[in-house]
Amino acid sequence: MDIEIIQGIISLLLLILLAPLFSGVVNKLKAKMTGRIGAPVLQPYYELKRLFRKETINASNSSFISRFSPILNFVAVIIAAAMLPVGFWKPLISFNGDIILFAYILGLARFFQILAAMDIGSSFEGMGAAREVTFALFAEPIFFFTIGSIAFVSGAASLYEIYHSIHLDNISYMVFVVICSISIFMLAVTECSRMPVDDPNTHLELTMIHEVMILDNSGFDLFLYQYSGYIKLFIYTVLEISFFNPFGKESYLVYAGIFIVIAFALAFLLGMAETITSRYRMKNIPQYLLFATAIGILNLLIFTFTQ
Amino acid sequence: MENVLSILFCLSLFYVSLTLRVKGYIAVLRSQGIILAILLLYPFIYDFSVYGVIIPLTILIIKVFFIPRYINKIILDLDIKRQVEPTIQQMTFLPLVIASMILIFLATHIISLITKIDVIPFASGFSAIVVGIYIMIFRKKLIVHVVGFLIMENGIFLFGTAVASELPMMIELGVLLDVFVVVFLMGIALNKIRSSFEGIEVTQLGRLKD
Repeated sequence: MDIEIIQGIISLLLLILLAPLFSGVVNKLKAKMTGRIGAPVLQPYYELKRLFRKETINASNSSFISRFSPILNFVAVIIAAAMLPVGFWKPLISFNGDIILFAYILGLARFFQILAAMDIGSSFEGMGAAREVTFALFAEPIFFFTIGSIAFVSGAASLYEIYHSIHLDNISYMVFVVICSISIFMLAVTECSRMPVDDPNTHLELTMIHEVMILDNSGFDLFLYQYSGYIKLFIYTVLEISFFNPFGKESYLVYAGIFIVIAFALAFLLGMAETITSRYRMKNIPQYLLFATAIGILNLLIFTFTQ
Repeated sequence: MENVLSILFCLSLFYVSLTLRVKGYIAVLRSQGIILAILLLYPFIYDFSVYGVIIPLTILIIKVFFIPRYINKIILDLDIKRQVEPTIQQMTFLPLVIASMILIFLATHIISLITKIDVIPFASGFSAIVVGIYIMIFRKKLIVHVVGFLIMENGIFLFGTAVASELPMMIELGVLLDVFVVVFLMGIALNKIRSSFEGIEVTQLGRLKD
C-alpha cells in the first residue's frame, strides 16, 4: 500500500477517535470555570458506549427517512473528515475543488437531519429544524468567504493545497490568518451549536436549536447523531489548527505539541465563551453570523487588492 | 504594518456597526485612537526624533483618554440610556456597511491605477468616513452622533496618512484642537439642551422652537 494512503487512514482514525475526547475536554474546562468538578474527560465515550447498547425506538408515524438519515448523517460527516488534512499528511480524499464538496457534504448531513426532524411530525422538532435552516443559511457564506479568500490567493482549490500554501513570510499574512481563524471559530460555534448561538445544555424546548431536532431519537440512532456531532466539532477545530501548520514544519514532535496546545486553547476559548456569555436572542444571531461573513469579505477584499 | 493596522481599523468599523451599546462605541473610539497612535509612532522606531513623537503622543492622550472620558462623563451626568437607538432596522445596517466597503475598495483600486496611493489604508480611512456618516444618519441619540463624527475624523486621519506621509505639524495639531473643541462644545450644548428641554434625541429636537 502506498504510504500516502496509510497516512490518510491514520489521520482519519485520529480525527474519529479523538473527537469525543475534545468534547470531553471542553466540558471539563467549562465545569472548572464555573466552579464545578464536572464529568470526567472520557464521559463522551461512556455516553456513546451506553447509547450503542440501547435499543432504537422510532416514532410510530415516522417513515423510512427517520431510519436511514442517522446513518447518512454519520457517513457524510466521516467523508468530510476524510477530506481534512491533519498536519502535512495528504488526506484520503483530495482532489481539485474539494472545498466545495467539503462544504456541501456537511450541508447534506444537515439536510437529512432536518428532514428526519420534520418526518416525526412533532411541532418542536419542526421549530428546531426551521431555526437550524435559518442559521445554516447565514453560516454558509462564512466558510466560503474565509476559506475562499485563501484559496483565491493561493490559486489552489483543495483543502490540502490551500493549507500547504500558507507561509508566514510577512507579518501581514500572519494577521490575515489570525482574522480567518476568528471567523472559522465563529463558524464552529454556529455549526456545532455551542453557546452564543445555541445552548447545548438547555432543557427548555423553546430555546433549543440543535438538541430539539434529536429529541425523539434513541439508542443507536442517537449514538450516530451524537458521534457525528462530536466529529463535526473536531473537524472545525482541526480546520482552525491547520492555520498554524507552518510553525510545526521542523518535526512531527513539534507539530504534535502545537496541535495539542492549540486544541487546548480552543477548548479553553469555547469553554470561556460558554461561561461568560449567555445565548443571544434569536433575532440577534443573524447579525452575529453576518459579522463573521463581513470579516471574510474584508479578507477577500484585502487579498484581492494587495496582490 | 500599515496594512495590518488598517485591517484592525476595519474590524472596529464592523463592530461599531453591529453593537447596540454606547459602551461599545466608546471602546471602539479608544481602540481606534490606539491604532492611529501606533500607526504614527511606528516609523520612529528606526529613527527617533522628539519633535516627531509629539503628535502621536498628543493623539494618544486626547483620543484615548480625554475624549472617551468626557463622553462617559456626559452620559453619567445626563443619565442617558446606554442603548443606541437606530432609526432603521439594525439588521440592514451591517449589509449596508459591507456593500459600501466593497464599493470603496473597488473605487480605491481604480484610483490606485492612476495615482500612487496605499490601497488598504486609503480604503479603510474612506470607509471610516462613510461609516461615521451612516452612524450620524441612522442613529437617534445625539451623543452617538458625536461618536460618529469622531469616527469620521479618525477616518480622515487615516486617509491623510495614506495620501501624504507627513503633514506639517501645526496643521495636525490644529485639527486635533479643532476636534477636541468640537466635542467639548457638543458636551456643553447637550448639557444646555438637557437643562431647558426634556429629551436629547434627534426626533424630539424637531419640537424645539425659540
